[in-house]
Amino acid sequence: MKRKGFRSLALTACITAIAPFAWGCGSSSDGKIEVEIVQYKPEAANYFKTVEDAFNASHDDIHLTISSPNDAMAILKTRFIREDYPDIIGIGGDINYSYFVDAGILADISGYEGMQNVNEGYLEIAEALELVPTDGTYILPYAANAAGILYNRQMFEEHGWQIPETWDEMLALCDQISAEGILPFYFGFKDTWTCLAPWNAMAVELAPADTTKQVNKGQTTFTKEYGELAEKYMALLPYGPDDPFAYNYNDACTAFARGESAMYPIGSYAAPQILSVNPDLKMDSFVMPASDEKEGRTLNSGIDLGFCVTADCKNKEAAYEVLNFLYADDTLQKYIDAQTSVPCKKGNFTLPVILDGMTEFIASGNMTDYQDHYYPSEMSVDALLQTFLIEKNKDAFLKNFDTSWQRYNRDIIRMVQEYEAAHGSAQ
Amino acid sequence: MSKHENERKRTFLLITIPILALFICFNTIPLIRGAMYSFTNSRGFGSHDWVGLRNYIDLFSDARVGKSYLFTIKLAIVTTVVVNVISLILALGLNSKIKAKGFFRGAYFLPNILGALVVGYIFNYFFTYIVPALADMTGLQGLSSSILSSPNKAWIGVMIVCAWQAIAMNTIIYISGLQTVPEDVYEAGGLDGATGWKQFKHLTFPLIIPFFSINMVLCVKNFLMVFDQIIALTKGGPAQSTESISYLIYNNGMSGGQFGFQSANAVVFFIVIVVISVAQMKFSSSKEEQL
Repeated sequence: MKRKGFRSLALTACITAIAPFAWGCGSSSDGKIEVEIVQYKPEAANYFKTVEDAFNASHDDIHLTISSPNDAMAILKTRFIREDYPDIIGIGGDINYSYFVDAGILADISGYEGMQNVNEGYLEIAEALELVPTDGTYILPYAANAAGILYNRQMFEEHGWQIPETWDEMLALCDQISAEGILPFYFGFKDTWTCLAPWNAMAVELAPADTTKQVNKGQTTFTKEYGELAEKYMALLPYGPDDPFAYNYNDACTAFARGESAMYPIGSYAAPQILSVNPDLKMDSFVMPASDEKEGRTLNSGIDLGFCVTADCKNKEAAYEVLNFLYADDTLQKYIDAQTSVPCKKGNFTLPVILDGMTEFIASGNMTDYQDHYYPSEMSVDALLQTFLIEKNKDAFLKNFDTSWQRYNRDIIRMVQEYEAAHGSAQ
Repeated sequence: MSKHENERKRTFLLITIPILALFICFNTIPLIRGAMYSFTNSRGFGSHDWVGLRNYIDLFSDARVGKSYLFTIKLAIVTTVVVNVISLILALGLNSKIKAKGFFRGAYFLPNILGALVVGYIFNYFFTYIVPALADMTGLQGLSSSILSSPNKAWIGVMIVCAWQAIAMNTIIYISGLQTVPEDVYEAGGLDGATGWKQFKHLTFPLIIPFFSINMVLCVKNFLMVFDQIIALTKGGPAQSTESISYLIYNNGMSGGQFGFQSANAVVFFIVIVVISVAQMKFSSSKEEQL
């Protein structure tokens, strides 16, 4: 009697313990193939809702679900810990993409026919993001953004200010603007990530594009490569608001939209936010001048959104069908209009007006990826930059950058150097 | 043992075991798995290698982790003192015979109902725009820029928000404590000349020590694990000056790629909290008075 009692207790305990795991495995009963996309740009949630509806209305055999959560990267990583993979993920071309490729989470999609329509510049950028050269293509670059300086076109026309092309011209312009009683720049450095925007935009002219890779191979240090960049960044601060660390990204966008400053050094992605405050604002952009040469200038641009099929995806055909739908010219054009971004697909697209000043660079493919796409997020380079801008101690900042880099990238550096030793650094 | 008593015991067991199973499933197993991850270089996904005690050795030499412990402990101590002093004074006031007592008790409890994120965003606006504007009007130099933008002062902003919210709950606990002190104790004390401060020091406070210790333990534990307020107010900035331990674990472990390392941090943090809580309980239970 007693034993039996215990057995039933044990059974109860087991069932209770197992139950939570059993809920997870639901499948659709109406025979449609389920495709799930998780994409990381919550600001494009409305666009993806319309895509989802349009796709489901035109397909009987596939049912598509697109979710656009806030902080999607944390959500994705949490799901990956549980080995629960969506079919397609929409992410940016940054260090997380590098990690995912390295972890073997993504499927090689070089066989997908749509790949032939991608702008080669962005395929190269994607290729460069792989920690060590890896065969295959793992991302379909969808849209890119560009960082530089957004300026108030109306204000520039009224005062007759000229677009600067070198660092000295830019400082002269800032002096001229301040002399007329207008604030040249607005900054929203309370949100640490915004500290990276001017940094990236100047870095493409002042530091080698593959600085981080050279450091990983032990060929150089950040102290050597970033010195000039850090100094020039500091020189911009006096042209901003008195206490730039009190304002966040929203505050800065709002202030610029209301004409409180003539320029805002940020990426094209800020345009929808700014226009939502002041839809009548006439705004344009120019490439951030950082060097003294007019030759050899390049635009800071990288993959803002790309789609990757996970290795775990059961039905690749269905996933490719979804990619076809997303990559159709008119679907992509709608995204570009809504998000003021740059298409990664070859073809005739209408670029947003606010990119007028950058079109020349985009058309000729003269683009260099963001430095921060190579920084591991846990190193918090944005916070290091904010600390540097507050304390204005260049040497301490660069030294800290070098030591932190070695600490946070220890496993990657070991992997890179093993790869170098095995394959030789001839290539 | 009678059969009846056996039945009773079995019923209790039947009630306990499902709960125990749930607890093991959602608390103990994740804890053990987390501890296992702390010996790997896992990024949270993909393959990982065992690295032995490397994460723990790194932990004790990592300046950023050390800074987050100092910040969190400083915040917890100061906030606990501020919260307990203010809520004890409030409780004494709200427990006396004043008009509209119910209304005041409700009003002071309100902050506890609001979500920490909502409160954080409201205070964010308050510190960034309203306080500097007021300071400009009154000519107070020290407050003319947002305290959240200064690495030396941002923690005070976090402290104010934490305290503002926590005072509500602590006041309620103190009020219920004060109501357990019978009126005749005061009457008897009054005959011996114990009034005012003397009455509080020798009669009231010793009798509500159990409530004081509950408040202390809850406060210290809550503020050591401060997270929502940081997310809403500063996101660890400026200059990484307000990175609390929980924030660092979440941010670098989940969003960043330091899953293994931050698991080690979480294990150490868990041990720290257990040790502090047990020490507090031991200390304050030795001070308790019985009527």
